[in-house]
Amino acid sequence: MRHDDITEAIGNTPLVRIDPAVHGLANIDLYAKLELLNPFGSVKDRAAWHMARPLLERAAPGDTVVELSSGNTAKALALLAGMHGLPFKSVTNRMKVPEIKELLLLLGAEIDELPGGSECLDPADTDDPLTRMHRQLAAEGGGYLHTDQYFNQRNVDAHVHGTGPEIVKDLGGRAPDYFVACVGTAGSSTGVARVLRQHNPDVEVIGLVAAKSDFIPGIRTIDEVHEVGLFDPGVYDALETVTADQAIDGLLTLVRRCGILTGPTGGGAFAGALRHLRAVDASLTGRRSAVFIVCDRLESYLSYVRDRRPELFGRPPRRNSVRTLTEAELGAAPVLGIAAAQRHVLDAGGLVVDLRNPYAYQALHIAGSINIADEVFAELLHAGLPVSRGRPLLLVCPVGEKSARYAALLRRMGHPDVHSLAGGIIAWRDAGAELVRD
Amino acid sequence: MLGLTPRIDPTIQSLLDDRDYLAELLDALGSPLALVLPQRATENVAAFRATFRRHHLSGRVHFAHKANRSSALLRELAAGEAGVDVASLGELQHALSAGFTADRIVATGPKNREFLWLAARTGVTVSADSADELAELAGIVSAHRLPRVPVTLRLSGFASSGVRQLTRRSRFGTPAGELAGLLDLLAGRADQVHLTGVAYHLDTTALPEKAVAMENCLAALDECRARGLRPRSLDIGGGFGVNYLADGAEWERWTTELGQAVLGRRPPLTWDGHGYGLRAEGGTLRGSLALYPAYRPVTGPAYLDQLLGTPAPQLGRPLGELLLDHMYDLDVEPGRALLDQCGLVLARVLAVSGDRVRLDVNARDVSLEEHGVLMDPVIVPRPGDRRTGPAGFYLLGNLCLETDLITRRKVCLPVEPRPGDLLAFVNTAGYHMDFNATHAMHQPVARKVAVYRSGGARRWCLDEQYWPVHSGQDTP
Ligand SMILES: Cc1ncc(COP(=O)(O)O)c(C=O)c1O
Ligand SMILES: Cc1ncc(COP(=O)(O)O)c(C=O)c1O
Repeated sequence: MRHDDITEAIGNTPLVRIDPAVHGLANIDLYAKLELLNPFGSVKDRAAWHMARPLLERAAPGDTVVELSSGNTAKALALLAGMHGLPFKSVTNRMKVPEIKELLLLLGAEIDELPGGSECLDPADTDDPLTRMHRQLAAEGGGYLHTDQYFNQRNVDAHVHGTGPEIVKDLGGRAPDYFVACVGTAGSSTGVARVLRQHNPDVEVIGLVAAKSDFIPGIRTIDEVHEVGLFDPGVYDALETVTADQAIDGLLTLVRRCGILTGPTGGGAFAGALRHLRAVDASLTGRRSAVFIVCDRLESYLSYVRDRRPELFGRPPRRNSVRTLTEAELGAAPVLGIAAAQRHVLDAGGLVVDLRNPYAYQALHIAGSINIADEVFAELLHAGLPVSRGRPLLLVCPVGEKSARYAALLRRMGHPDVHSLAGGIIAWRDAGAELVRD
Repeated sequence: MLGLTPRIDPTIQSLLDDRDYLAELLDALGSPLALVLPQRATENVAAFRATFRRHHLSGRVHFAHKANRSSALLRELAAGEAGVDVASLGELQHALSAGFTADRIVATGPKNREFLWLAARTGVTVSADSADELAELAGIVSAHRLPRVPVTLRLSGFASSGVRQLTRRSRFGTPAGELAGLLDLLAGRADQVHLTGVAYHLDTTALPEKAVAMENCLAALDECRARGLRPRSLDIGGGFGVNYLADGAEWERWTTELGQAVLGRRPPLTWDGHGYGLRAEGGTLRGSLALYPAYRPVTGPAYLDQLLGTPAPQLGRPLGELLLDHMYDLDVEPGRALLDQCGLVLARVLAVSGDRVRLDVNARDVSLEEHGVLMDPVIVPRPGDRRTGPAGFYLLGNLCLETDLITRRKVCLPVEPRPGDLLAFVNTAGYHMDFNATHAMHQPVARKVAVYRSGGARRWCLDEQYWPVHSGQDTP
C-alpha cells in the first residue's frame, strides 16, 4: 500500500475476533476494533487529524497548535503540527505518566502543567482548566490554533465518517448488538454509536469511565465526564465504571493470550465488556455480536503498570546489595570517629569516598576525597570490590547511616580496612573540622 | 442523607460527650464560645519532629501564628521546642510576650518600618520579602546602630525545564532569577545583615510545584555558598494541610452529587442551589470546585514526609536526601497543620423552623465557609426529649445579612435541633476561629477559653489567663 503522506494511513483499522476460549462467552462473538494500529498509535489520530486539518490549511507561519491533552491527542497533534512546520503546545493538569511526557518532549511538544489547588482558598478562583488555558493563551497574544477536543463536533464526526462505518462494513453490513468503549472526550463512542444506531436502533451502547478516586490514563472519571462538552448521557444505555485493576487484568489477557498489544483503556474496555456480557450471555437464545475499542498501545504505560503491579516486573535479587545485610552485619558496621578517621585514613594515605550527590560534594567536601554518589557506588558493587584491599577506605555520607551500610557490605565482600565516618559529614562540620570547595 | 462527618480525636470527643460541662461554659461565657486545646498543639509539633528524624534532618518547626490569635496556644508552644512565624508587628509583640526568644522567631510577609525595627532590635530572623525591604532593614539597622540581623531571602517564581510546571503568580518573595541582585545587596550591607538561608512559601496543595521550588532553592543556597556566604537553612513555609473528614467516601459522594445538583439532575444540596464554583452550561459542568479538599488522606507531617521523599525534578534524588547531602537544615512554618484537632467553636441554637436553624453565632466566628471547608457540626442536644432524624438543615447566623449563613451547604444532623441545644464546630482552630471575627452590629466576638489537663484532671481558663505552668505540675 503506497501513500503520499502518513495521514493517509489513518483509519481502516482491523476488526479482530477474540478467541472464545479466552472470553468464554457461549452466545456472543466478541470483536476488538484495533485503533492502536493507527499510524501515531491511537484512536485519537482520527479526531486529531479531522479537527486539525481545517486549522492547518489556514495557518499562518509561526502559529502554534494548542490543546488541553495529556496523551494521545497531544501526540497526534504534535506530529501533525510538525509535518506542517508548526510548534505544538499541550496544556494539562492530568499528565501523570512519565513516559508520555518524555515522548511528547521528544516529539518537540511544549508542555505546560497547570498548578494545583490553593491551600488557602480563593473562592473567586473557579476557572476550569479549559478556561485557564484560554486565559493563558489570551494573555500571551494571538497565534494559537486550538482544536478544542472536548467541545469540537469534528471530534465526533471523525468517527461518524471513519470508525463507525468501518465496523459495520467488517460485520457484513450489520451493526453489532453491543458496543463498548471507554470515554475520554466521548468523541469515539458518540460517533460510533450514532452510526451503529442508524443500522440497528437496538444496539446497546456501554460507556466506561474510571471510578471517582481512580486513575486510568486517557479516560475520565464518573464525575469528570460531566465536564466534557461532547458528553451526552443519552448516548449510552449504561455508563459503568472500571477500576485500574480491572483494566490491567484485561490488558494482561489481551497481551498474553490474544497477541493484542493494548494499553490500559483497551484492557478496561475488554474487562468492562466481559463483565457486562457475561451477565446476559446465559439468557440469550440466538447468536449476538459485540465490539469494543482498543484505543492505544502498551509501551507508553510501563511505569503505570509497574507502579500498580510491581510483581510483573520481578527480577532476581542482585548480588552485593545493601538490602541483603542482616541486622548483625549492620550492627557490626565498622565506624571511626573524626579524630580516629583523620589518623587512620587521611594521615595514612587512605581513600575517602564521599557518597553524596555531586552538587553537594562540589559545594563542600573533605579535602582529598573523591565523590562516587551512592547510586553509582551501588552499581559498582554489584560487580565486585571497586577498591584495592590494601588501601584504607573511609566512606562518608550526610549522617553516617548510608556509609555504615556500605561499610558493612564491603566488609562482607572482603575489604579488611573499610570504615564509615561516624555522624557523617554533618558531624565533621559541627566539630569544626575542615571542609573545602575546589 | 449526604453527611460530611468530621474527624474527631478522643480529646475533643470526650468534651462533646460532656454536655453539662459545655453547657455550663456557654452559660457563663455566652454564645459563641471558642475552645482551644494547647497541649494538642505540642503533640502536633512532636509529630512533625518525628518526620524530621525519619529523614535525619535538623531544623525548626515554626508555628505560623496567623492561623489563630490565641495566647494559650502560643504560650504552650513557647514552652516546648517549636519556633514561631510572625507576619505582623502585633504578632511579633505577642510572640515575644509569650516567651519566645529571638532565635526562635522568624518574621515573614511584607513588613512596615515599625515591624522591621522591632524585629531588628530584638534580633529575630527576618525573612526578606523583597530587595527593597532588605535595603530598608539594613538602613534601619545602621541608622539605629543595631547589631547585625539574621536574614533569609524569600524567593518565588521558580523556573522548571522540560515539562513547564505552572504555578499561580505570587505577590510575595523575590523572583528566583533576581537572586544575584539580592546577594550584591547583602555583600554591600554585610555589617547590617547576615544571611542564614533562603525560603519559599507556595499557596498550593500540589507536591510537584513544591518540588520545583525546593530544588531551585537548593541551587540558590549553593549560589550563596559560591559567593562565600554560609547559609544554614532552607525554609519551605507552610501549607501541609489538614484532613477534616472521617470518611473519604462521604466526600466523594457529596461532591459527585453537587455536580448532579448543579446540572439540575437532583434537588439542590445548597442554599439557592449555590454551586461552589461549578455551573452548568448547555448540560456540561463548567468551572471548578472552589472548596478546600476536606478529605485528604495525606496531610501534615505525612505530607512533609512525602515531599521529602519526592525526587527532585532535575537531579532525581529525593529532596530530603538532597538537603542532607548539602548539609542544610530544614525549617517549616505550618499553621493549619499544627492546629489540627486543637479547638472547636460552640454555639447555641436559638430557633428552628422547618429546615432552618438559627444560631447565636455568625459566619465570621466560624469562618469555615469563607475558607471553603465543608463539614457537619456536631449537635449536643438537651437531654430528655425524643427527636426525629437524621435530616438536613441550613444554619443561619446572627447578623441581619442575607449572606450570613454559617455554610451554604445543607448540613446533616443525626437529630432535629431544638432551641437550647448546642452545635459544636470541631477542628476549627486553624483559620476558622478568629481569623475573620468582627464586632459587626455589636455582636460579641466569641470568647476564647483554653481547655487543658493538669494533675490528672480537665481544667479550663480564659485564653489570656493561660500559662504553661499548672499548679502541682512542678513538683516531681
Ligand atoms: C488511551 C485512551 N483511551 C480512550 C480514549 C477515549 O477516547 P474518546 O476521547 O474518543 O472518548 C482516549 C482519549 O483521550 C485515550 O487516550
Ligand atoms: C509565609 C507563610 N508561612 C506559613 C504559612 C502557613 O500556611 P499553612 O497554615 O497553610 O500551613 C503561610 C500562610 O499563608 C505563609 O504565608
